[in-house]
Parts: sequence; C-alpha cells; structure tokens
Amino acid sequence: MVHETPVLSVAGLTRIHGRGCADCVRLTGDAAGRNVCPSCGSVVAVADISFDLWPGEILGVMGESGSGKSSVVKLLHLDDRASAGSAWFREGDGRRHDLVAVDEAEARRLRDTRFGMVFQNPHLGLNFGVSAGGNIAERLLCGGERRFQTIRETALGLLDRTEVPRARIDHQPGQFSGGMQQRLQIARALAPKPELLFLDEVTTGLDLSVQARILDLILEIQRELGVAMIVVTHDLGVVRLLAGRTIVLRHGRVVEAGLTDQILEDPQHPYTQQLVMSAL
Amino acid sequence: MSPASSLQRPASSCDRFGFLDDFAVREMRRGMLKALAIPGYQVPYASREMPIARGFGTGGMQLTLALAVPQDRLKVIDQGADDSVNAVNLRRFITASCPGLATTTRTAEATLIQTRHRVPERQLAPGQMMIYQVPYPDPLQIVEPSEAKRRRCHAHGDYARLWVKLYEDVVRFREVSISNRYPARVAGRYIIDPSPIPRWDLPKLHCSPVAHLFGAGREKKLYAVPPFTEVVPLAFDDIPFAVEGFRATDCSRHACATCGATDTFLDEIPQVGAPPRWLCNDQDRCAERQGYPDGA
Repeated sequence: MVHETPVLSVAGLTRIHGRGCADCVRLTGDAAGRNVCPSCGSVVAVADISFDLWPGEILGVMGESGSGKSSVVKLLHLDDRASAGSAWFREGDGRRHDLVAVDEAEARRLRDTRFGMVFQNPHLGLNFGVSAGGNIAERLLCGGERRFQTIRETALGLLDRTEVPRARIDHQPGQFSGGMQQRLQIARALAPKPELLFLDEVTTGLDLSVQARILDLILEIQRELGVAMIVVTHDLGVVRLLAGRTIVLRHGRVVEAGLTDQILEDPQHPYTQQLVMSAL
Repeated sequence: MSPASSLQRPASSCDRFGFLDDFAVREMRRGMLKALAIPGYQVPYASREMPIARGFGTGGMQLTLALAVPQDRLKVIDQGADDSVNAVNLRRFITASCPGLATTTRTAEATLIQTRHRVPERQLAPGQMMIYQVPYPDPLQIVEPSEAKRRRCHAHGDYARLWVKLYEDVVRFREVSISNRYPARVAGRYIIDPSPIPRWDLPKLHCSPVAHLFGAGREKKLYAVPPFTEVVPLAFDDIPFAVEGFRATDCSRHACATCGATDTFLDEIPQVGAPPRWLCNDQDRCAERQGYPDGA
C-alpha cells in the first residue's frame, strides 16, 4: 500500500522543564551524556526528535528509563506541551493540526475522538470508580454519543474484540486481573475508533503468556483497523514483534532510527549495541 | 425585578435597609447581572457573614436582601410550606431587616419568592422572581472532588463523567436514580445543579417567564436561569427524562386527599393501620384550589 502523506510528521520536537537557556540543547544529549543543562539546571526531557508515522504503521520507541520515551508520548498525546518543534497530525478527513500549537479545546477534541492511549499502569488509563462498561461509555460520551443502547452494544462489541468476557461488563475494573485490566484499557482506547494509538509499556509487569496474548491482540487490531500506533517499550521482544520501524532514544535524543530488524541485527550506536547484547 | 419596584432603596444613615452594606449589595447585584448574562455559569461572590449559619439558606437570603425594595411582596417557602421552621425564621429576619417589605403566602401575589426544595405549582408570571437556596452549586461535585478540575470541565464543556454517572445508573437500576438536583443544561451550554428541587419541578424552569436566581452561601456561588431560557434535563436519547408519576399499583394517579388535585407534586403520609394519604406538597396551591377556606 502506498500512502502519500504520513499520519504524523514530527520535526525538532523539544521539551525543556525549567526556565531554559541558549545553551540547554547544546550542552545536553547523547554526546554530553546528560539531560540536565549544566549552565541553567533545566531538564531537557527530549530535544530535536524527528520522525514520520505512516498510516497503519507501528513505530517502536525504545530506550532506557529516563531516556524520554514517555515524554515523547505525553507531548504527542497532548498531556504536556512542547517547548519547540512541530508535530503535524493529519486527521482522517485530511485536516492537519500542529500538535505543538493546537489550543486547549482542539487538544481535547483530538484526545477524545482521534487518539487512544494505553498506559503501563491501568490506574492511569481506567476510572476504577465506574464499571468496565462505564469506562468504555465515557469515551463514547466524550465523542457525543447519546443513545444508551448504542453505547451498550458498542461496549459489548469492544469487550468481545479484546477478549474480556461479556458477563463482566458491569463489574468494576478493580475486580479484574492485570491482563484483563490491560485489555479493558485497550477496549476503552479503541472506543471512538481512534486514528492514532499510543501504547506506553503495555506489557511490562505482566506474565509471559498474558504478554503474548496482549501483543497478539495489538497485532490483530492493527491488521483489522489499520490504526497507526506508537509503541513505547524497553523490551526488545516487543519491538521485534510489533514494530516495523524503531527509534532509539537516549538522554532525550534519537540516537538510532530505522527498520527494526536492521537495528536489532546490526546496531550502529554503542548504546543500542549494548542494549541488543544485554538482551541475549 | 418587578415592574412595580425600582432599584431605589430608602437611604438612612443609621438603619440599613436589607441588612447588607452598600458594597455587598452592589457586589451581589453585579454578580446576578453576570449570572443572568451567562446563563448557568457559576459566579463567585464574597458571601457575607449572616446572623444564621452557612448552610441554612444564607445564599438565598443574601440574594433576597440585595434585591428587595419596600414595594416588593415576599413569599418564603421550605418544601412547599410557608410555615415550616426554616421558612418562618428566614421570613422573620428578612422582614425585620427590610422595614416596609410586605410578605404573603399566596404565590400569585408574591413578587419575590425565596425557596428551598420546591418551585410553586402555580404558573409563574412576569414580574415575579424565584430565589433558590442552594447547598451544592456544582453538578460535577458528585463525580469530581477537585474544584479546580471542575472549573476546567465547565470551561471545556466536558460533562462526560456526568453522563457516565447516568449510564451507571441505568445499568444498575434500569433508570436514572437522581430524584432531586437533577442536572440540566441551560441555554445549550452550562450544566447546572438546579438545587434540591424534585424532578417534578425541573420542566418548570424551561422557558419560564421569570428569572430564577440561585445562591449558595456556603459555597459562595451565584448562578441564574434568565426568563425564556432553554433548560434541558440530561437524558439519553432512547431513555427520556420522566417526572415522578405518583401512580398506585393499579396505575391510577394518586390525588391530593384534601383538594383532589391530580396535577401536583404529592407527599406520602403514612397512616397506622390504613393506606397512606397523599397530600399536595405545595400548601398554597392546595389552599387556592379550595378557595382559601381559612382566609389565609
């Protein structure tokens, strides 16, 4: 399939926590080996991140803890706002938005109807005070759906899709197992038929058989719905299985980018080499 | 403001008409104008110390005191009754601090009606004004404890979690379980908590010919439904909003045991060894239907 325009086109994305100075970006990063600016003390969470995400593609974002993986996702999911750069998102109807510059109302609309987010910790992604069905309903209601029956049927369909038993639709997520909570999060994220899905360490902390089922589910969803995804992980197995292309972050910079197979077979950057070696 | 009244109040150097000082009156009136200009928006105000405790109707009382002029006729009700303790005490304080202000129990004659829990059954007319005592001004309070976050939700028109509460109710009880304080959208924008009036009274706010002013003394918020403004209860498209039916087991409608009305909000009075009696909750409406037998 040939698509002419990417869903997401990120260029020079930068987020500095603190007042920042002219030398922040120059004095931090992979070469400097740090992400705290020695001149002004600001934390350069990410700097100069650039990549394209094509329709239906899964992009892996890999790196050690503190490398800026989650910061990238937060910026793109509009939970945090970037200090510089641009991130052009193309909606299904062809409209383009720079995620760095959108206003709050537009940000909310995009988050509610165009994006989906699955967190490592289900407590961040689910409302434990309401039932499983209520969690899915919330996303549909955000999108303006006001028919109870339609909401109910859509929720049941999504539970089927994510292999959560239908009978548990009215149970609280707190009564679910960890793997089921994660699947419910995916169901919730998929409710408004998003065009861009963010998966932040979704399998971390789950046992291997449950991990495998979640990864299978993600692949099936990608095949069926063709939704573009950004998968953040420190697990080489996850990117190998899911992601066609991968970027590797360290100290808030992209140190390596390319086809996942290529990166895993022939890592160029010393950090990536170490990462691949240590996994064996 | 009723056509008969003017904003002029008697000036006196020693006695305050209406208890509040000029600054408080001015602040309240500005707040009310803002509330009327942005229907349903909660306007913060200072909420002065009153000689009764906050939570006992100080919000409604301050609105009344800031609006009243000697030409007004005031009616104070609590749960539809003019003679309950809360209504009597509020009325006594307001008349004591507003010399010349007349009171009435007849809805038709009142220009200002301060209320807790009910809207009079009698159709209101231009020239009248409703003032509500409000315990909880924010409909989002049941789903979001943080006021800062609630204000953001109101600003963004983000009421999804209130809708989720409705969804959960329908799932659990097969109907929406909110019996009073039923959330409603005003003029297509803000969702308000209409104070603890029963569902029965909510349709009376829709396109009403009078202004409805809400004052929360403890929470320090004012809001308003201007005259002839849309007030739409929150409800799913396929589960319509319904008011109390007062149906017997054979589906017939209970009637008031005193006046026989079948179109009013009824109180159920349990009887020992007999079926419960049903009585009009709105005392004045009941007496009016009987032609005011006590000459009240």
